[in-house]
Amino acid sequence: MMLQIKNLNVHYGGIHALRGVDIEVERGEIVTIIGSNGAGKSTLINAISGVVKASGGTILHDGKELAKKPNLIVKEGIVQVPEGRLIFANLTVADNLAMGAYLRKDHDGIAKDLEKVYTLFPRLLERKSQLAGTLSGGEQQMLAMGRGLMSDPELLLLDEPSLGLAPLLVNTIFEIIETIYKMGKTILLVEQNAYKALAVANRAYVLEQGRVVMEGPAAQLAGDPTIQEAYLGKRTT
Amino acid sequence: MNVTFFIQVLINGIAIGSVYALMAVGYSLVYSIMSFSNFAHGGVIMLGAYIGYYSGALFGLPIWAAILAAMLGCGLIAITIERAAYNPLRKRNAPPLYYIISAMGTSILLENLIVATIGPNFKTYPPLFTERSIEIGKIAIGKLDLLMLVISAVSLFLLVFLIDKTKIGMAIRATAYNLRASSLMGVNPDTVIFIVFGLGGAMAGVAGVLFGMRYVVYPQIGIITNKAFVGAVFGGLGSLPGAIIGSVLLGIIEVMASAYWSSNLQNLIAFVLLIFVLIVRPSGIMGVSTEDKA
Repeated sequence: MMLQIKNLNVHYGGIHALRGVDIEVERGEIVTIIGSNGAGKSTLINAISGVVKASGGTILHDGKELAKKPNLIVKEGIVQVPEGRLIFANLTVADNLAMGAYLRKDHDGIAKDLEKVYTLFPRLLERKSQLAGTLSGGEQQMLAMGRGLMSDPELLLLDEPSLGLAPLLVNTIFEIIETIYKMGKTILLVEQNAYKALAVANRAYVLEQGRVVMEGPAAQLAGDPTIQEAYLGKRTT
Repeated sequence: MNVTFFIQVLINGIAIGSVYALMAVGYSLVYSIMSFSNFAHGGVIMLGAYIGYYSGALFGLPIWAAILAAMLGCGLIAITIERAAYNPLRKRNAPPLYYIISAMGTSILLENLIVATIGPNFKTYPPLFTERSIEIGKIAIGKLDLLMLVISAVSLFLLVFLIDKTKIGMAIRATAYNLRASSLMGVNPDTVIFIVFGLGGAMAGVAGVLFGMRYVVYPQIGIITNKAFVGAVFGGLGSLPGAIIGSVLLGIIEVMASAYWSSNLQNLIAFVLLIFVLIVRPSGIMGVSTEDKA
């Protein structure tokens, strides 16, 4: 098991944001976490990345306990593409991508991955010497994903990649997620857009008020009447 | 208007301003990463002035060796201050105000440590040049001014090169923009903070020796960093080029005011400028944000 989360609890001040969450991610899967705003999806991703401290539970990476500090977790190959993108607006597009490869020493590998990223996102190549702060919202999301890929991750944690993007761009982003998956990356995808997320994922978890209330193959959840009503906007009468 | 006199005053202003810049970059680097003004910086500069003095007076080291010794010593001192005074606060996620109080305490501690050990007396660097100025045509330029200018320019150039062109410099810039995002790229914030304090300290060491040479050395010499702080705010706190430009401009304005108006104004003008900048353009010349400067 690549990632095994057992009985994870997170407290934010007085708020119990995650309540005993169990989640597993197998190598070569796309697993998605769906749920409404405030369900604890981003908290979960940030707890895996070490940005948020867990108050209880364990996270295992290939059977061994995962490091606690964000930079050491990146070293283990678990890399987050943060919500709101958090790109470095004061650096050029090329420097943002170089930051993604910060811990790598294999110059040939870095050059190859840079080429892949530019093939995947030709817009980034066009704008590589521009400051990242001047990019549009969609381009910033592409840059954040490209930057994540530059670390050559084993497991990519995508936090709300479609948030705030126009519908056409949302489609593009999900196509890119599939392409990245075909490149051999394992993906944990947190999404509010349940419809799209369930379409691309192998398995899914539904998070409600900090608890996993449902889990299973994505296709099965997509056909579930309660899911359809709560997250896919379909009326079941 | 006497052109020769004007040029002499201008060069003098740039020389003083460039030393302010050496101090101001330390404020700006730390502010850009940790969002607080490190008021212990004056103490580091004071110690640099003493290190330079003793390297010359006691060990007879040449000026370049005295500067290197002060750079190394002050870099280590600044890193030690971070470990002792700020790192414990960082572990507890303390608000910026706590850092400022800790910084002020450290500054008072360093000053009194020197008063208690070395003593409150003024110390004078051994004279470096027998002739005090060189003449180009009618313009007489102080050799000391020229030395200050050249050494400051070289140091600042190296610093800017390191921040702009190297990998660790890129990590510092990324961390300055967003610490959380850079740690998600695998950057260790502790390493960045260590390097930033080391660099700021090294620049403070150079500044301490240059000021000690120009004036005299005494435990309260660190007060001069108030000017550098004004320069950093003037240029835009947190911005490296801003700190340099703001400080050099401040040096020129100060020296011009005292040459053409009244020398009593030299110290007043910096603070009038500070108040003016804070009212008219709180983000400074190169600053990007207008959040409050703690």
